[in-house]
Amino acid sequence: MLCFSKQTPCARNPLKATYLAVACLVAFRVLGQDIQPPGHDPLPVDYHALVGARLIVSPSLTLTNATLVLKGERVLMAESNLLPPEGARVWDMKGKTLYPGFIDPYVLMATEGQAPKTTRTLFHDSASHQATGHWNFHGMTGDELDPGDKGPGGNYHTLRADYHVLDEWSLEADERRAWRELGFTAIHLSPSKGIWRGSGAVSLTGDTSPNRLVVRGQSMQHLALDASASSPDEYPRSLMGTLSLIRQSLLDTQHHMQSPHAEGFDSSMEALVPVLQGRKRVVIEPGSVLMAHRSHQIARDFDLKPIMVASGQEWRRPDLIKQLDAPWIVPVNFPQAPSLKEKADWDAVSLDLLRQWDWAPENPSLLVAMGKRVALSLHGLHDRKAFRKRVNQAIDRGLDRGAALAGLTTIPAELCQLSESMGTLSPGKLANLIVVEGDYFDPEARIEATWVLGRRYAHDHADATKEQAKGEDQNTVEMEEPTAEDMKPLAPSENPTQDKTHRRLARSPLQDRPSSQGPDTLLIRHATIWTCGPQGILQDADILIQHGHILEVGQSLTLPPDDLGSCVIIDAQGKHLTPGLIDAHSHSMIMGGVNEGTMPSTAMVRVSDVVNSETDNLYYQLAGGLTTANLLHGSANPIGGQNAVIKLRWGAGPDAMIFAEAPAGIKFALGENVKQSNWGEARTTRFPQSRMGVPVFYENRFTAALAYQQTWQAFHDGSNPKRPRIDLELEALVEILEGERLIHCHSYRQDEILVFLRVMEQFGIQVGTLQHVLEGYKVADEIAAHGAGASCFSDWWAYKFEVLDAIPYAGSLMHQRGALVSFNSDDSDLARRLYLEAAKAVKYGDTPPEEALCFVTLYPAQQLRIDRWVGSLEAGKHADFVLWSGSPLDTSTICLETWIEGVRYFDRHEDRDRTLAKAREKAALVAKAQGKGSATSSSPDKDEHDASSFDLFFLPALEKQDEGRILHCDD
Amino acid sequence: MTPTQLLLRLLALILGWTCLQPQAATLLLKDATLHPVNHPIIERGDMLIIDERIAMVAQDINLPADQTIVLEGLHAYPGMIAMTTTLGLLEINSVRATLDTTEVGDWTPEVLSWRAVNPSSELLPVARANGITHAQPIPLGGKLSGQSGLIQLQGWTLEELLVKPTTGYHLFWPDATIRHTPKALLQDPSSWKSPEDQRKNHQKEVMAITEFFDAARAYAKAVDHDASPTRIPGWEAMSAWVEGELPLFVHANERRQIRSLLDWARSQSTRVILVGGRDAWMLADELAELKIPVIYEHTFTLPHQDTASYDVQFTAPSVLHRAGVQVTFSEGSDRFAASALRNLPYAAAQAMAFGLPREEAIKGITLYPAQLLGVADRLGSLESGKEASIIITDGPLLDIRSKVTHMWIKGTASSLESRHTRLYETYSKRPRKEP
Repeated sequence: MLCFSKQTPCARNPLKATYLAVACLVAFRVLGQDIQPPGHDPLPVDYHALVGARLIVSPSLTLTNATLVLKGERVLMAESNLLPPEGARVWDMKGKTLYPGFIDPYVLMATEGQAPKTTRTLFHDSASHQATGHWNFHGMTGDELDPGDKGPGGNYHTLRADYHVLDEWSLEADERRAWRELGFTAIHLSPSKGIWRGSGAVSLTGDTSPNRLVVRGQSMQHLALDASASSPDEYPRSLMGTLSLIRQSLLDTQHHMQSPHAEGFDSSMEALVPVLQGRKRVVIEPGSVLMAHRSHQIARDFDLKPIMVASGQEWRRPDLIKQLDAPWIVPVNFPQAPSLKEKADWDAVSLDLLRQWDWAPENPSLLVAMGKRVALSLHGLHDRKAFRKRVNQAIDRGLDRGAALAGLTTIPAELCQLSESMGTLSPGKLANLIVVEGDYFDPEARIEATWVLGRRYAHDHADATKEQAKGEDQNTVEMEEPTAEDMKPLAPSENPTQDKTHRRLARSPLQDRPSSQGPDTLLIRHATIWTCGPQGILQDADILIQHGHILEVGQSLTLPPDDLGSCVIIDAQGKHLTPGLIDAHSHSMIMGGVNEGTMPSTAMVRVSDVVNSETDNLYYQLAGGLTTANLLHGSANPIGGQNAVIKLRWGAGPDAMIFAEAPAGIKFALGENVKQSNWGEARTTRFPQSRMGVPVFYENRFTAALAYQQTWQAFHDGSNPKRPRIDLELEALVEILEGERLIHCHSYRQDEILVFLRVMEQFGIQVGTLQHVLEGYKVADEIAAHGAGASCFSDWWAYKFEVLDAIPYAGSLMHQRGALVSFNSDDSDLARRLYLEAAKAVKYGDTPPEEALCFVTLYPAQQLRIDRWVGSLEAGKHADFVLWSGSPLDTSTICLETWIEGVRYFDRHEDRDRTLAKAREKAALVAKAQGKGSATSSSPDKDEHDASSFDLFFLPALEKQDEGRILHCDD
Repeated sequence: MTPTQLLLRLLALILGWTCLQPQAATLLLKDATLHPVNHPIIERGDMLIIDERIAMVAQDINLPADQTIVLEGLHAYPGMIAMTTTLGLLEINSVRATLDTTEVGDWTPEVLSWRAVNPSSELLPVARANGITHAQPIPLGGKLSGQSGLIQLQGWTLEELLVKPTTGYHLFWPDATIRHTPKALLQDPSSWKSPEDQRKNHQKEVMAITEFFDAARAYAKAVDHDASPTRIPGWEAMSAWVEGELPLFVHANERRQIRSLLDWARSQSTRVILVGGRDAWMLADELAELKIPVIYEHTFTLPHQDTASYDVQFTAPSVLHRAGVQVTFSEGSDRFAASALRNLPYAAAQAMAFGLPREEAIKGITLYPAQLLGVADRLGSLESGKEASIIITDGPLLDIRSKVTHMWIKGTASSLESRHTRLYETYSKRPRKEP
């Protein structure tokens, strides 16, 4: 087992590491050193000839009847039909296969009992939004102690780039033997704590001095998108905060490289210098498919050399993964289907979990097929003995054996930058190899011995291993779907029933989604068209659409004479057609936390980093006519994060969902939430705690932003030669000052609204929208005069003290007084029926129906400054529209079709087929999962090892963890 | 009933009442579209109200009345009854001092919700303004949390609000979900239980419920035979159940939980009303067979299974109805429910849009609640003899754009004013501030 070595953490010696790396390259050591003192066992002779073997020199070169000559720690010769050199100890290897020793490039070091966190287990912490005060802003100078470890270092606990795994870890004898028995001769020890986690090291698995075992002391740097690594009140506690912190730390390092120690000594930053210089690679564990895409993008922005750790979820978005230019470390910790007792148990399992299970073994071959270099790893596999079985599972599902072998040898060697000494058995390489009685990929074939540094380690308890493996098989019959017998490679035609087990039944989630192709030309006829534009409501009218844009709206339109391309004509007699609905306040498609609520200003965090393109909320809301949503950070701090306006292009990736033309924005918040009123009695120290403090806070930050702006101006005009540090928080605030970023401010009471508007006016800022703005009706004239939009709930009130005076007439009243009003949802359910919310403006305050509909179409578009493209049906605008069974303000109406840019994203007629297809798919998957041993108990504590792969089955993807939850501001 | 019969009956009524109450007030509502709920709609119909009651509902009533109101172009409906709500028991959800919804203890049948209703709550007039005349505040907390009562949303004092102190017992059925969440992923790993233990635990909890009711019966029997020397308040409070006078409102949502409840219900001779009913549609036939009505609180709940259709919760009432289950609508008792109670008709409306017949949707917020509360002889429809709890709207009740224009509760005209209308009026009058 792994345990702490006796080295003290402060005994860092970079020279030692360098020395070791050099030492291992010396071909032959002075023999005299090998003479043990009297009383010690004499060392065996180190000149061997392994004769008559099938020799896998490398994944691409196999020699038969080969002789492998080892001298000292190295391979001397590897040739077919070679007579053993004289003086060498001869080993008969007839019937045996020799493989280069395997290398695992990603083995997390963690204390026993505390399983290393893989980032897929994030965000179960419901307290993630809570925070207290007194933390310094990242990078903002102040007198407070930074929350990182004592003494100089990274500003946060999670910035541990300076950590070195060898400071705390070395491989114990038991541990080395265990790895050897699996055929691994080298493993890469990776640090497991924090976001920037520090450097790893490569260790051999032989039994010799620890110094000799370390073949690379300073290997890759490690980065994980692990927000749970922070203490509960420390930034960052959200995924978006994590990404921002990574960006800022890289920017700070760049700054440090230009002006050394300009901001003081920071050892974590120092450690990132070689990473930014491209001298050191970074292993990134993103934890999810979308984050693989995002973190790779950040790495590319900074010219890093990333190595991606697969989350096993890459199958969800092959389109995104394909774009990433990086090698992959692919853990083979595939989930195993549990045997559940009752049908109801299976009913409760989501289709998505079943898909995850069925796709998992195919994931490695999927990555290889994309042309990725794939190294395999035991990472996350608690039962290491299952490794070979898992690899075979992947082979059965399409992974080429050569690729699998490369993934165990040459590719990990290359990732560890040890290709010169490892990965193949060509002459000159280290004599690290395994001897298999047959073919490694035959699960019955025994690994007879493992050689490390030219020394043979026989697996004397091989019988026990075999028995154990057998026993394990018996256990796993109930836990796991494919038994060892199934794993025997078979030609597909050989056994049809087995073929069924091996075939993937799960579909890609992308197949549930519409094609992004619409007809070139689309004419919809005879509808009642609510244009929400100057044409008003047109009866028996037509709309002509070409290439995603509206060409014309009017009566009796004809198709243009020119080339139509593909053309569709829809008769919408009796139906109503409106612009696509726009929700000016949503959190529905944000993953990994809606709030980065730790610090009072988190202007640097970006919702656009964490748009969740995989959530079913997209479909549910399309089914209610929604086409555009303003995804806002929560309201836990006076200055929240940067928002993202998206089109609900379901099926597109997160970046392709962004409404490209929409101006940038940011969330601000006032009142109870930002002063932590309802966060319990423990949290009373973060400034501000009262409505007195809120404006003070804004004045402070914008004053800082002005100073920051001036510093940069001075740099640009040459009056200050020193390049200032880039501060992402202040960058965002400067953009506000420059009118390039709209403020969307959560607000309730009239006093705070007025004070906020006045403070912003002091800085020359026009507020984009006031959100909720429930007492806005009391100061409607002032809001209208300032020019801020008012985006409110139709009729929410009384759920907390500051909303006691909220009235449902507010929308109409503010509208009558000249304010620009929209109704929003702030709720994943309500977002499905904003058209009915609009009807409440008619009920409360008699807003004319046509204008009421504008509360969820044109007016939110104007508020978000996207009305040039959407919000009404006018020539030239995007063809975003909804077809309804009747008036959109009538409760008996149903949304029939939702189109975005001329593409149909929702069609009620197709929904039934879609649902049926999913039900059929699930039934097939359940049958497959139940395939064996379904009568036995599923109690996971029966076999602890297998419990973990069983656990994995029930672990939803990060993108799916909030499914069905209603996300509000406060969450 | 022929017009002659009607007239005779009406005269008898008038004579009878005139004898008892010499100063009887009569109110004649004319020319409204009448929605009696359990009878066909009467276009341009008339309705005569004498004192607290509806005396006559007919196409044409030409009788003198103290007051006649012509309601041309308007609609008349029975007042809506809000089931399973916390209205009156809380003011501001996030302010603890304003909460009277939840008591301590597992078995507290002697807790009566009506006694904590705040007649001055600002939430009452807001609900009333949208046509809700009655509400059933329910106690929360524990397993059997207590008894709900029925209040009307008008009166000077709590006692004037009170319609019925006890309408039934509220039992929160134990969770039957089997969680497979891995131990390592639990926030508190020590709380992890194996599926087997979870199943056993559920059975244990169900047995505890059975035992509770057995003990209640045993106590009643002992009292009958004078074998219980002391009166135990908890058991005393169960007597109405023992006597079969009051139903059990059993709160359950998830499929297995409902399944478990149905198994239990089969073994008990007790009247069960299912409250919540998120997944009730999956067990519609069995609910119909057992004649268990559903108070449905989940029209606007998001689908919780990724194989479900997007509209699964919208269509659930129509599925239940087609199977023969009576469906009543409720806004439920979550943190937003009491203040959002005025949206009750729109839950029914959404179900209608997705297949529930219009009449059923309306019954689900008027007559069916009255039946479940045991007051169908007094409330829930426009019929002669019933209490005059009536709302007048300027459009269909289920249409959001419609407004309530008049309301009578028990024959008395109700104010449709609320904190909201007052603030609206006040701030509408704010002089315009010139920029």
